[in-house]
Amino acid sequence: MHKARYFDLKRFAIHDGPGIRTTLFLKGCPLSCIWCHNPEGISAAPELAFYPMRCALCGDCEQMCSCHQITDAAHVFHRETCLACGRCEEVCLHGALELFGKFLDSGQAAALLLEDRRFYRDGGGITLSGGEPLMQSEFCAELLALLKEEGIHCAVDTCGEVPWKAFERVLPFTDLFLYDFKVADSALHKTFTGCGNKRILANLARLDQTGIPFEIRMPMIPAHNMDIEELEKAAVILSGLRHLTAVRLLPYHAQAHSKYQAIGRTDTLPQVPSPNADALENVAELLRRRKLRVINPLTNGQ
Amino acid sequence: MLTKTFTQDLEYLRKKFQAPVFEKGSGLDYETLKKRVLDSISDMEGLPHPVIKAKAFELIARNVQIEVSSHDWFPSFGCWNRKDRPMAGLLRKFSEKTAALLTKNGLWENLNTSGSSAIWVDFDHSVPDWDMILKFGFPGLRENARSWRCRHEAGGAMTPEQAAYFDGIDITYAAILELLDRFHAYALQHSAGKPRLIAVAAALKALHDGPPQTFYQVLLTIYLFFMFSEHIDYLQVRSLGNLDNLLLPWFEQELEKQSASEAEMRERLDYFLMQWGAIDNYWGHPFYLGGTDEQGCSRINRLSFIILEEFEKLQITSPKIQLKIARNTPDEFLDAALKMIRRSNSSLVFVGEESIARAMTSLGMTEADARTCDIRGCYEFAARGRHNENDTGCAYLNMLKPLELVFNNGIDPKTKLHIGPKTGLPEELQSFDDFYRAYILQLSHIIEADISVCNEFECFLNQLNPANVFSAAVQNSLLTAKDAFHDGCFYNNTTLLNAGFASTVDALCAVREMVYLKKEVTLAGFKEILDANWSNHEKFRLKILKDCPHYGNGNPVADHYAGMLGRFLSTKINGRPNSRGGLWKASIHSARQFIELGKKTGATPDGRFAGEEMSKNSSPVMGMDRSGVTALIRSAAVLDAGDFPADLPLDVMLHPTAVEGEEGLTAWRRLIREYLLKGLAIHFNVFTAETLREAQKNPDKYAGLQIRVCGWNVHFVKMAPEEQEMYIRRAENLAP
Repeated sequence: MHKARYFDLKRFAIHDGPGIRTTLFLKGCPLSCIWCHNPEGISAAPELAFYPMRCALCGDCEQMCSCHQITDAAHVFHRETCLACGRCEEVCLHGALELFGKFLDSGQAAALLLEDRRFYRDGGGITLSGGEPLMQSEFCAELLALLKEEGIHCAVDTCGEVPWKAFERVLPFTDLFLYDFKVADSALHKTFTGCGNKRILANLARLDQTGIPFEIRMPMIPAHNMDIEELEKAAVILSGLRHLTAVRLLPYHAQAHSKYQAIGRTDTLPQVPSPNADALENVAELLRRRKLRVINPLTNGQ
Repeated sequence: MLTKTFTQDLEYLRKKFQAPVFEKGSGLDYETLKKRVLDSISDMEGLPHPVIKAKAFELIARNVQIEVSSHDWFPSFGCWNRKDRPMAGLLRKFSEKTAALLTKNGLWENLNTSGSSAIWVDFDHSVPDWDMILKFGFPGLRENARSWRCRHEAGGAMTPEQAAYFDGIDITYAAILELLDRFHAYALQHSAGKPRLIAVAAALKALHDGPPQTFYQVLLTIYLFFMFSEHIDYLQVRSLGNLDNLLLPWFEQELEKQSASEAEMRERLDYFLMQWGAIDNYWGHPFYLGGTDEQGCSRINRLSFIILEEFEKLQITSPKIQLKIARNTPDEFLDAALKMIRRSNSSLVFVGEESIARAMTSLGMTEADARTCDIRGCYEFAARGRHNENDTGCAYLNMLKPLELVFNNGIDPKTKLHIGPKTGLPEELQSFDDFYRAYILQLSHIIEADISVCNEFECFLNQLNPANVFSAAVQNSLLTAKDAFHDGCFYNNTTLLNAGFASTVDALCAVREMVYLKKEVTLAGFKEILDANWSNHEKFRLKILKDCPHYGNGNPVADHYAGMLGRFLSTKINGRPNSRGGLWKASIHSARQFIELGKKTGATPDGRFAGEEMSKNSSPVMGMDRSGVTALIRSAAVLDAGDFPADLPLDVMLHPTAVEGEEGLTAWRRLIREYLLKGLAIHFNVFTAETLREAQKNPDKYAGLQIRVCGWNVHFVKMAPEEQEMYIRRAENLAP
């Protein structure tokens, strides 16, 4: 069985596809979006998170590994020597250490995802997300095949920046794709994510050819990708897609600072406020003029 | 928006019960009134208790201070304070007299002192037949009782007890009519041409003369019946009925005849609901909305929505609303309720009609009983109508205490009282099976003790508190000429409430894991740690919290023991005969006892410190449900409503993002419907820890923010700081 590294499993996920879902977050992403709110999903390697506020300076981790030193009533974590083996996490009783990137095989993952199957009635199911799940596409295909055998609705949340081959592996078992669309202009895309969007758009077009429905998810970051001209370009691209079910706007929240700190990654989160309902509605209206179905979560169902 | 008139009257309404002022001459001052009641007892020595109490009722009704204010649609009288009711002195005398006949007073005291249980005579959960009350009205109830008396007399077998029963009702209802007259006269004297007082006077006259005829008169009848029973007759009416369906015929009739507009009836509802908001009993007074009819059609109607809307405008914590959910309850109605909760009003409980049916039929009641039942407490329910049920909840069992007794070979460590059997010294319990068996023996012993104590004193309920007001509103009581509070209802049941369920499951798992599987400590060593209240063993405690199975996470080990314990309680308690011709019912509902009994319980193996609160209801230990709400509901599903015919509530805390948007509502509905396949009642707190902290810092800005505590709501800003912290800690566990 194929194994994968994951960093989270979220139950009662209601924004990762229809109904009540369980979402498995796989580790590793080809993009490095500056606004990423799951920075622990970017690196494919395991990472140890350290939350100093929770540390009680008990010294148990120090006994386990030389990466940790308790000196002068302070916990010094030598990240540079950390192998992310996770032994220190096991002995930490205060929740100050957390390992992101544990392994699990497709059978174990299927068992976990099936635990909540009673809640999947009425259109719910499971979603593979990340990071970029299709970076571990063989695992995904094997896992989704197991879940399809059980009649579970399966969704894959992807940024699209993977070889088409990765898509091909999961196509037979995927009921719905959640496809990120961050910005239409490739140069700007590279500025914000570290990568142009040529392959992403090509894969999107090929995905549309398969007939499998997909939802577009657009993160909305004020002063970054909410420019009208850019959005018009996006609207043109998206309006040509036949199997697009909806465009969902995702308002930006700068709430992941502590995660960046915990894993020792440079915090790149834009210092801009979250867009309000009106700002999001303006974007929605712009897209709707192109006959797109748009979901504004700030006005939907309140 | 509340009407301008109501807003102007709010100040009066808020003070009406908390700081009432009565006109001199409207009656005796309160201390004199109480003294008169006590003095009158000596004149009545030898009379039957129903008659003595009825005469005391009469004395109070004739002399209590009254007011009918132009700021209100509902009259007031001077004996609203339930901590100091005029009948209390008389009931104390009755109690002293009865106590002399009891043989188990010592056991009763030991159980209460050791915190093994909390046992008292329950005067707080009566449910009258509202349909009968509205059909007859106050004079009709008296006439109906008289006609039943005639039938019994014609049968030729009237005993002195039965005669006293009917005398008690007759005197009491005559006094009620006199009090209505007093209210009416007062309103007229003070009307000075004010249209509202004239209208109130007319309604009071109408109720004196017959059954209610208008929407407002129905509200007035419900209010007055509650007040007469609870505040004079000392028996709490613990249900305002199924208000949406109870009121609907009058609501529609008024609209059709154009005798009252919807706006006017909404305003009357506001005043009506505000009465209980102003009384402000912490436990709240419940009513049902919804359910299904005989054909299985949903009974959600226009009034169900109107009541929800008006209730939310008031921002009060009592009354509290229980939504009876069936498969065909419209999503639209559920959404209206869920949106209310999202707006920080947690006063709503979702109860499953099918689960109620499974619970009630498990004890031989009918499906019709389940369909028409009334709420009778925080979550509990009781059959109404012809099959009226009186169910007393007189014993709360502390499920953690038997654990302490296992560690201490039957002796309560704090009081040194010998409570349980000798189940062996810790070193003699060689396996977890030994330990579990010892626990079950101790638990079983307390259950038996509770039942024997309650069965003894419940033989005297009709002597302790003859229920004259209540009995006239129960058909079976009149038919049998038996006190409805004692054995006059069709079903006369008693509930044993079990507190600390999840704490016990977690504690058993901790012992199994740490002592018998991992062998990190011996049972004797564990006892020493608990005796020292974890002092110098904080790491061990944290390890238990981190590594041992905890109920509420879908953990198979914890859920296995939860299921075992649930089945044991159910088998042991349900269907046992009580002493009033009824049955015992099991409940996993803790009310305030998860706090009170916790204070009397030492440190326990689940990581709990001595004196701390225990888990409440069927909910996990606060903060230990770390795997999300679906895992919590999977755990809760090991308990079935059919095994807990009294009640089985679950408290859930959700992060607002978990239920935002249209998707959130859809998922939330799904969650509720899934839970109600097995469970009985579920309610929600939807907050972030940040919101709660903000409310702590700025109470003025968050005056309306409500927290569901157990079976009742409180305004968060009025909670003690340490209680606020507990909710904040739990909210911190919720992932956005």
